[in-house]
Amino acid sequence: MQRFVSERILVQVGLLIVAVALFASTFGQSFSSSDLAQSPMFFPRIILVLWIGLGVISLIQSFKSDEKTRQIASWPRIGIVLVAALIYTNLIGSEGFFIPSVGFAVISLLAFGIRNPILVLLFAVLVPGSLVLLFNHTLGMPLPTSRFSYFF
Amino acid sequence: MLSSLPEAVAILLSLEGLLVLVVGTILGIILGAMPGIGSTVAVAIVLPFTLTMSQAPAIILLLAVYAGSVYGGSIAAILINTPGTPQSAATCLDGYPMAQRGEAGLALGWATVASVIGGLVSAVVLIFAAPQLAAFALEFGPIETFALILLGMTCIVSVSTGSVVKGLMAGMIGIFLSTVGGDPILGEMRFTFGNWQLFAGFNLLAVVIGVFALSEVFMRASTKQSTVSELVSFNGIVLPSLSMWKGRFKNLAKSVAIGNVIGVLPGTGAATAAFVSYAEGRRSSPNGDGFGKGEPDGIVASEAANNAVTGGALVPTMALGIPGDAITAVMLATLTLHGITPGPKLVEDNPVLIATIFSGFFVINLLLLPLGMLLSRVAAPILRVREAFMMTAIVILCAVGIYFVRGNVFDLLVMGGAGFIGFLLRRQGFPMAPLVIGMVLGPTLELTLRQGLILTDGNFLAFFTGHPIALVLGITAVAALLLPVVRSLQKRGTA
Repeated sequence: MQRFVSERILVQVGLLIVAVALFASTFGQSFSSSDLAQSPMFFPRIILVLWIGLGVISLIQSFKSDEKTRQIASWPRIGIVLVAALIYTNLIGSEGFFIPSVGFAVISLLAFGIRNPILVLLFAVLVPGSLVLLFNHTLGMPLPTSRFSYFF
Repeated sequence: MLSSLPEAVAILLSLEGLLVLVVGTILGIILGAMPGIGSTVAVAIVLPFTLTMSQAPAIILLLAVYAGSVYGGSIAAILINTPGTPQSAATCLDGYPMAQRGEAGLALGWATVASVIGGLVSAVVLIFAAPQLAAFALEFGPIETFALILLGMTCIVSVSTGSVVKGLMAGMIGIFLSTVGGDPILGEMRFTFGNWQLFAGFNLLAVVIGVFALSEVFMRASTKQSTVSELVSFNGIVLPSLSMWKGRFKNLAKSVAIGNVIGVLPGTGAATAAFVSYAEGRRSSPNGDGFGKGEPDGIVASEAANNAVTGGALVPTMALGIPGDAITAVMLATLTLHGITPGPKLVEDNPVLIATIFSGFFVINLLLLPLGMLLSRVAAPILRVREAFMMTAIVILCAVGIYFVRGNVFDLLVMGGAGFIGFLLRRQGFPMAPLVIGMVLGPTLELTLRQGLILTDGNFLAFFTGHPIALVLGITAVAALLLPVVRSLQKRGTA
């Protein structure tokens, strides 16, 4: 049973579902030309069919194979780093570059096992701070700013 | 191109030119020496700094970082048994045992000389081969170009590490991603689902940095923290004397040739070249028995080949607009950012720029010798930097780099998403290089296929019946696709 619900199988099934859904979505739209070569969906359909075919082959290979996915050494660490990085890339647009970068650096360093608070704070402030100084004030290429930038 | 050489030399000898040559090579060596960064991330980190520069210095800076990082990878491989870049993995096999014997300086000396020679020969190959190839490709119409891109795609999958099916699938995902946004012929929107941010498609660099750099950070976070091997005693590089080279020139020449040939093949990359060359060296070198136990020929085979790839990989990138590997895919995207369209017309339309880039690449490889000797001492303490600081800095620097490409915050979201998906796929053994190359080649593949079909009234077979070049390229593509299948059948037969 474990063979059918492993991470490997779930990812493969996920890829297959995405491909099938995208392929299905190509039929519900109307375009100005339905000529073979002129249709905007002509090429993507070929690629999606190949993707689906290869996905099925890969899935069958995964069922047959005993190969195991590499074990995650620490779920909390990967979880924290993953979520922090995704939130970080989302926040830069609304909160500017500096504040999310400091926050991300603190979380990431702690997750990777750095426990010296002075080192963490120094790194977290100095690295983004020097980048702001370099790009905003030396190179004249402003990084995204936050609502608090007005005070500085 | 030769007539533009005086102007090219003047640009290289200007203050800006000299500065980018030296600073770029230094940055490349240092970033390449840091395990976990690699050439692709090194180029991506430096990318935003080039956006304020003019075309030639910007490209030279990136080339210097590229060539420098490939060499820099050998420093970590020899001193701490951890390859700074994947292409230096083979160097560990003999470099570290030599270092453990107290010959770290000599091991780095072999690596430096082999790298410089490999890089210089590849620069000469680039200078002479790229214009010839570009001149030949000028005759290509859409059908020949389609066949050429198809060949490029099949080469990619035939050398996919691990599963060929997964390599092919990653390539398809890459091509599909390139179809998101405006259709190249009619301009109608596809797969945007009403999101205007997708009208221009996914930013290639955001995807590349996501699947390579960010996913690498996630991979590191998911595995046991690496314990860095003890730094061996090291008092600077010792260059091997001429007498020590006796009986090793054949191995060097063979490795340089392997690196150049593999470099030119799309999708292969320096890591493949290093291992192929290492295996060939082990087979043919008179010192083959000592491979893996600290044999200098092993270091020479690996380092000469991986540095020879740099120039070779730039040949199809510059002349045809087909990237040789993931790094050259990033270079290709960067060239476009700077208003340069790589391809057959590049050499004809921009002779001064091309002469500057090519001669600059030659100088960069010359600089590897003095700067390598100087920097190896500085780089050694950097190897002690903890992974936590390096990984955190990579994420922040990548965010800066991606933001400056288009000044678009949406690209940061794409980078984050690509990083997460890249992490999931890499854990299941999907190679990422085919995805990136698929994304780079996808638009041209689609455009030329559809143009070809319009020209032949929808008859796909006419692509090959009336076009001998396309026929030869098509047959080669099919052969490249079938090669792994035949190999695996042969393996089963002998098992």
